[in-house]
Amino acid sequence: MDEKIKLPEDAFQPVGKDDKLDDEKIAAPSRTFLQDAWHRLKENKAAFISMWILIIIALFAFTSPITAPNPNSANPDYANLPPKIPGVNINGFNGTSIQGGQRVDQYKANNVPESKHFILGTDYLGRSLGQRILHGTMISLLIGLFATLIDLLIGVGYGIISAWKGGVVDLVMQRIIEIMQSIPNIVIMVLLLLVIKGGILPIILAIAINEWTTMARLTRAQTLQLKSQEYVLAAQTLGESSGKIAMKHLLPNLSSVIIIQTMFTIPAAIFFEAFLSYIGIGIQAPIASLGTLINDGQRNFQFLPFQMWYPAIVLAIIMIAFNILADGLRDAFDPRTSRH
Amino acid sequence: MKFKTVGKLGAVALASTFILAACGSNNSAKKNSVNFRESAEIATMDQSKVTDVVGLTQLGNTEEGLYRIGKDNKIENALATDTKVSDGGKEYTFNIRKGAKWSNGETVTAKDFVFGWQRTVNPKTASQYAYLFSGIKNADKIAANKANYKTLGVKADGDNKLVVTLDRPVPYFKLLMGFPIFFPQNEKAVDKYGSSYGTTSAKTVYNGPFKQEGWKGSNLSWKLVKNPDFWNKSSVKTDTINYQVVKDAGTALNMYNSKKLDQNTLTGDQVKQYKNDKNFVKYLNSSTFYLEFNEKKDKYFKNQKIRQALSLAINRDQFTKKVLADGSEPATGLTSAGLAKDPKTGTDFAKEVNVPEASKYDLAQAKKLMAEGLKEEGMKSLNFQLMSDDTTGAKQSTEYIQSAWEKIPNVKVSLSNIPFKNRLANSQNGKFDAVITAWGADFSDPISFLQLFTTGNSLNNGKWKSAEFDQLIKDAGDKDANNPEKRWNDMLKAERILLKEQAISPLYQQAQSMLRNQNIKGIVYNSAGLNFDYSHMTVK
Amino acid sequence: MVKYLARRIFYLILTMFLIASVTFFLMKLMPGTPLNNQAKLTASQIHTIYQQYGLDKPLWQQYVTYIVNAVQGNFGTSFQFSNQAVSYLIGSRIGPSAIIGAQGMILGVILGICTGSLSAIRKNTWVDGTANIISILGLSIPSFVFAILLQYYFGLKLQLFPVAGWGGFASTILPTIALAASPFATTSRFVRTEMVDVMGSDYIELARAKGLSRFGIVFHHALRNSLIPLVTVIGPLAVGIMTGSMVVENIFSIPGIGEQFVKSILVNDYPTIMGVTLLYSGLLCLVLLITDIVYGIIDPRIRLSGKGE
Repeated sequence: MDEKIKLPEDAFQPVGKDDKLDDEKIAAPSRTFLQDAWHRLKENKAAFISMWILIIIALFAFTSPITAPNPNSANPDYANLPPKIPGVNINGFNGTSIQGGQRVDQYKANNVPESKHFILGTDYLGRSLGQRILHGTMISLLIGLFATLIDLLIGVGYGIISAWKGGVVDLVMQRIIEIMQSIPNIVIMVLLLLVIKGGILPIILAIAINEWTTMARLTRAQTLQLKSQEYVLAAQTLGESSGKIAMKHLLPNLSSVIIIQTMFTIPAAIFFEAFLSYIGIGIQAPIASLGTLINDGQRNFQFLPFQMWYPAIVLAIIMIAFNILADGLRDAFDPRTSRH
Repeated sequence: MKFKTVGKLGAVALASTFILAACGSNNSAKKNSVNFRESAEIATMDQSKVTDVVGLTQLGNTEEGLYRIGKDNKIENALATDTKVSDGGKEYTFNIRKGAKWSNGETVTAKDFVFGWQRTVNPKTASQYAYLFSGIKNADKIAANKANYKTLGVKADGDNKLVVTLDRPVPYFKLLMGFPIFFPQNEKAVDKYGSSYGTTSAKTVYNGPFKQEGWKGSNLSWKLVKNPDFWNKSSVKTDTINYQVVKDAGTALNMYNSKKLDQNTLTGDQVKQYKNDKNFVKYLNSSTFYLEFNEKKDKYFKNQKIRQALSLAINRDQFTKKVLADGSEPATGLTSAGLAKDPKTGTDFAKEVNVPEASKYDLAQAKKLMAEGLKEEGMKSLNFQLMSDDTTGAKQSTEYIQSAWEKIPNVKVSLSNIPFKNRLANSQNGKFDAVITAWGADFSDPISFLQLFTTGNSLNNGKWKSAEFDQLIKDAGDKDANNPEKRWNDMLKAERILLKEQAISPLYQQAQSMLRNQNIKGIVYNSAGLNFDYSHMTVK
Repeated sequence: MVKYLARRIFYLILTMFLIASVTFFLMKLMPGTPLNNQAKLTASQIHTIYQQYGLDKPLWQQYVTYIVNAVQGNFGTSFQFSNQAVSYLIGSRIGPSAIIGAQGMILGVILGICTGSLSAIRKNTWVDGTANIISILGLSIPSFVFAILLQYYFGLKLQLFPVAGWGGFASTILPTIALAASPFATTSRFVRTEMVDVMGSDYIELARAKGLSRFGIVFHHALRNSLIPLVTVIGPLAVGIMTGSMVVENIFSIPGIGEQFVKSILVNDYPTIMGVTLLYSGLLCLVLLITDIVYGIIDPRIRLSGKGE
């Protein structure tokens, strides 16, 4: 049986030279890791709003030297005036407060000229609380940012070196961290500030010194993983210097861990500063931070509640925004944890 | 002379234990009990060791000495039944009351005074108040380790006669006898407990109107109960004073408002709210706050015009009413108002001094004097640091003064707020430009203030010098010691010199403002020495 | 195990020694003295007082004495309270701190577990959202603000609890709540993450496929496995409680360690500061050691060995 399989003429067609093979085409637009993370972050509404809130607060805070130039100009004649917004006649915003059981217009009682008003009231020296909050927010953010920056430099460097060198170096460095972590950091911070008292710098240092260990541990763990990756091995084989490998290969791949940790460290630093202010070893007068403002305000909470509420609300908003943003970033950088 | 922290006012504050109030039964059953607040713990109940105001108040109400100082510094006999002064004011003979008892059953005798005093001056005891004995025979030599403490000029002649010999007449000697440091001590108890004497209620013995219970060394609540063995117990009308230490002023006010405290000391802003309250009471302390300028370190402070300019720039009225706002009053001089009265006319010393320009506010004049002063010194601008404590009140003060001074052209001021002890150490070592110093008198005599500024006195921090001033203070201490009027005039002249030269710039006299239930009456207050005496207090 | 323990205890001792040394020299940099009336004292009196405190000896000798004494539990004499041993001071104040600390920790952790697991089970619903906001608030409001608000509204305005003071269970309620805020927030967030992880794992899928009740799955499998890692955060939680106690005890006038520590800082009572520092560090070291051991016992995946990681 001579049977031939008869194929229709048109069963096969030659592939033309110009025809494109598109079965390997990536449907979604091609994005780098960071772009991808950014995209996911945008999808997370809460985190995205938090980010904008922080940007706006930072804008207000860092322009305060121009918009609120006199946070420290005292005028005791205007001391402890409640908030007054012209045209608004709601108790709490109309310049009245209860004194000795009666509601008194404090602006009249203190002979403040008609044209003068303080939207957020004044403090015990008659300084505008609004201006001081703007200024204080700036200082608090600066403390948070710089403490975190120092933290980053020490922590990341320490972590990379420890993981990269390995062996005895790693062992010793890890023991040091272990010891550091078993010291209650608040106690060390307090002791340090007792010795180097006062300014912004000592506080930044004190906070940074106690926060870097977490950063170092995370960096080390991540570096250990990266160290065994082929491209790192390849770079090593090709004779790249350790420094260059760290800069070109390790750091970019560590960025997500670092960014997430940074977002947690900044609010922690701001929070610690507030705590130190309460104990009485925070920033020295007349510089204001949110912590010192809240602390000044809490003393008279019974009758001048706004002096504590306003800075406390600003602090709380900053803290909440940072925390939500950090959560969002963690999800964005590491989709596995967020989406099962 | 006790130091006071700037704003330490709270330390004198009093309050109650809420614990007993919470238990309820105690409170309703005993109508005669009150709840007081302190804002610091008791440091010690040992008369030879005490330095803190809380401890002194406790001792003053649980122990009894030769005298009690009544209202307006009136000297009332306590353990002394009568006193004889002889040898031109250099010998005192006291007859000691019979039948007074210690809480351990022993009798209080003249020997207890001898023992207590010798123990305090003994350098081994290291009493930080031993200097008050200066003037009693050999006290200075003992302090310098040049004589045995047993040679102190105090002798017991039998159980009921005490003879004290002085090196020189001490015009305020009787006032001192009302201060707890000079109260007797029970040798048996002190020997029994050794170095732990006075570290808890149980390790202290009492011979005064009240006995202390429940203080365990560092806890925050205790009470004083009426002493059934007190010689004058019928005059004590209060059964129990409950104490609670509350450091946070806001908390204390909340406790007062929820009726857990019967008395509470207020801070500045609280005073503003409550100054028209029917329970509001105010006491002026005998402590003056003033500025000192370091003339040794900074040559420009030797220039009187610069000192005057800085003084004139401060509006003390605004400062006390608006910034401190705790009831403190502008100081017109060094010696606090209400401390001592002219022996002839009865006028208050502070009033009689009358140098208004030393505490005037005149910014225009300040600018003019500063410009002149700077020109004389060949300087373009003034840049210095103002030092003070790190308490809230002190920070507010420095901030205010800084802003006042910087209203003068070419004056730049930085601030240094440091802990109390550091401030003292820096002051004495001359490590400052300008400093806010507070001085409180231990006894009601202007000399307590004035002797600070004699040349070479270790507390003359600014190193201001005046030969005339030194001479006047010397005369008041020896030549005119037994002539009250002449001595008074010496002191008046001295303070006038001090103020006219603006050796210091007086700031304010501290007040203690408090809320106290009106049913509490009969508390004796004296601005110097033992501040609060509750032995005649009544509760309705 | 024994080898591991020995190593850990060695490091514990080394840590304590380092802390003691650093604290000692830091405090020596400070100018404070036990004297209150320095100016009025003669040189010989000052010398006597220094002698009593052992401050007249050379620095190294003071250091050796301090370390030797500290090993025996003697931290010197307080500057603030005359003739009062620091160890006695600490001892007499540890009770109240322990009570409110433990209560706050337990309350916070239990509430945190409830909220955390609830929000994991009801993931991405309004329950989850609310729980999340509450726990973030717990991290965002400074403890002193929280304590003041509690005191003002629940103590003074509503008169539900005592405003401040120490005595009886009622007086511990507000401080406990104030202290619980931080462990609550941490635990709640931690448990949620762990639980979400576990809920997605295969054995839960299996249990579900086998038709186990929702309740059974959550309590028998998910919760149990997500709580094991919680042991690892007990150390940080303990630190949070210590920090919080300084503030909370001060505001509620509780005679505890934290209150004493803050006061000692303000009056420069160095022996007490050093004593409390050592106590805090020792406690933390112990807590860390115990949690590691406990973790090794309850989680069979972890084996304690002589080697590091």
